[in-house]
Amino acid sequence: MFDRIDPRSPIPLYSQIANAVRGAVAAGELRAGDGLPSVRALAAELRVNPATVVQAYRELETEMLIDMRQGAGTFVREVPPERHTAERRREFRQRVRQLLDDAARLGLTATDVAEILRDETTRGRS
Amino acid sequence: MSYAIETRGLGRVLGKGFELRDVNLNVPTGSIYGFLGANGSGKTSTIRCLMGLLKASAGSIRVLGAEVPQQLPSALVRVGYVPEKLHLFEKLTVEEMIRFHSVAFEARWDAERGEALRREFRLRPDTKIQRLSKGEAGKLMMLLALAQRPELLILDEPTDGLDPVVRRDVLSAVLDYVADAGATVFISSHLVFELERICDWVGVLDAGTIVAELPMQVFKDGLKRLRVASAPAQLPDAPFVVLGRHTTLGSVEEWVVRGWNPSMQQWFDGASCELRDVIDLDLEEGFVELLRAARRREEGR
Repeated sequence: MFDRIDPRSPIPLYSQIANAVRGAVAAGELRAGDGLPSVRALAAELRVNPATVVQAYRELETEMLIDMRQGAGTFVREVPPERHTAERRREFRQRVRQLLDDAARLGLTATDVAEILRDETTRGRS
Repeated sequence: MSYAIETRGLGRVLGKGFELRDVNLNVPTGSIYGFLGANGSGKTSTIRCLMGLLKASAGSIRVLGAEVPQQLPSALVRVGYVPEKLHLFEKLTVEEMIRFHSVAFEARWDAERGEALRREFRLRPDTKIQRLSKGEAGKLMMLLALAQRPELLILDEPTDGLDPVVRRDVLSAVLDYVADAGATVFISSHLVFELERICDWVGVLDAGTIVAELPMQVFKDGLKRLRVASAPAQLPDAPFVVLGRHTTLGSVEEWVVRGWNPSMQQWFDGASCELRDVIDLDLEEGFVELLRAARRREEGR
């Protein structure tokens, strides 16, 4: 679940960790009540600063995605299904934005992009 | 902000034409501070000054609030130090070495942690120190430093020359301790990639002088490679620092800049050149460019 953490990426490590949890919850890999690794264990496993893990967990707690219970551990909260859909859309939108940046760099117009997207989605179905 | 280590104008002649000069370190309490520098840049000598093993000829040093060297003895018991050259007694066994060390720290000594680390590191109690491999000796030094429950860990190239598996074990043990005890870690290394994910502060030493000290995220955010078309020879009013310029194919130049932020794209609207692309750098690339720029400045003097 945290395999994609990349210290060389410009995205701060804490965001990467938080995104990994968001993704796993959206994809149903993590369900309500499931435990997350302790700050200590995850920091040692990923070899990141414990403060980074704390920052990621705090962000997820503010979003009401997880619950940090003093002494007991960190758990995934009950999340309404609409939110999963919203989360999946949000993640996909982020990737599309990166693609559009690339397209702009290559000098492609919005029409070009839409055309390619249509081509590829129909090809995928056949 | 309080600082676990603070130096002001630290100086010391180390050899012919080589000295520590005006070294100012500010290591925030609770941070993991990466002390970066090429081999021979003066990292070990700086650390030896902090530990009172080398006398500074100029400036002042505070470690955990204690003035070095006068008040150092009172602070030393709260500092875990793993030197570059390990000091262990060859004739003792692992168990004897641990016992010897624990006596010096009395009440602070965490026997439980020591034993847990010994098992985790797979060190046999009856092995003679002289029979330990380099990796095992490194692990034993780390065990001794962590089991004394330090408020400050000073690690001088703790993973240099160790294989990847041992490096991981050693770093994981340090992070586990930090998560548990909230200590400050001052870690020197020339292995930049290793510190990238761990540190929240970096200080860069080059030729005996500090060339940068800032939070890791600021350092990483501000370092970019810009691709610029029809660049002028002089850039008197650029809002960022150009560390290096390289010509690539055609009329496009690549600039490595420091202190970048996205709003600076506007600067190019008023300039005669055109910004084509902004590319992220990792810490290692940034570090190399920073040192190159510092050396060019030095030669230009």
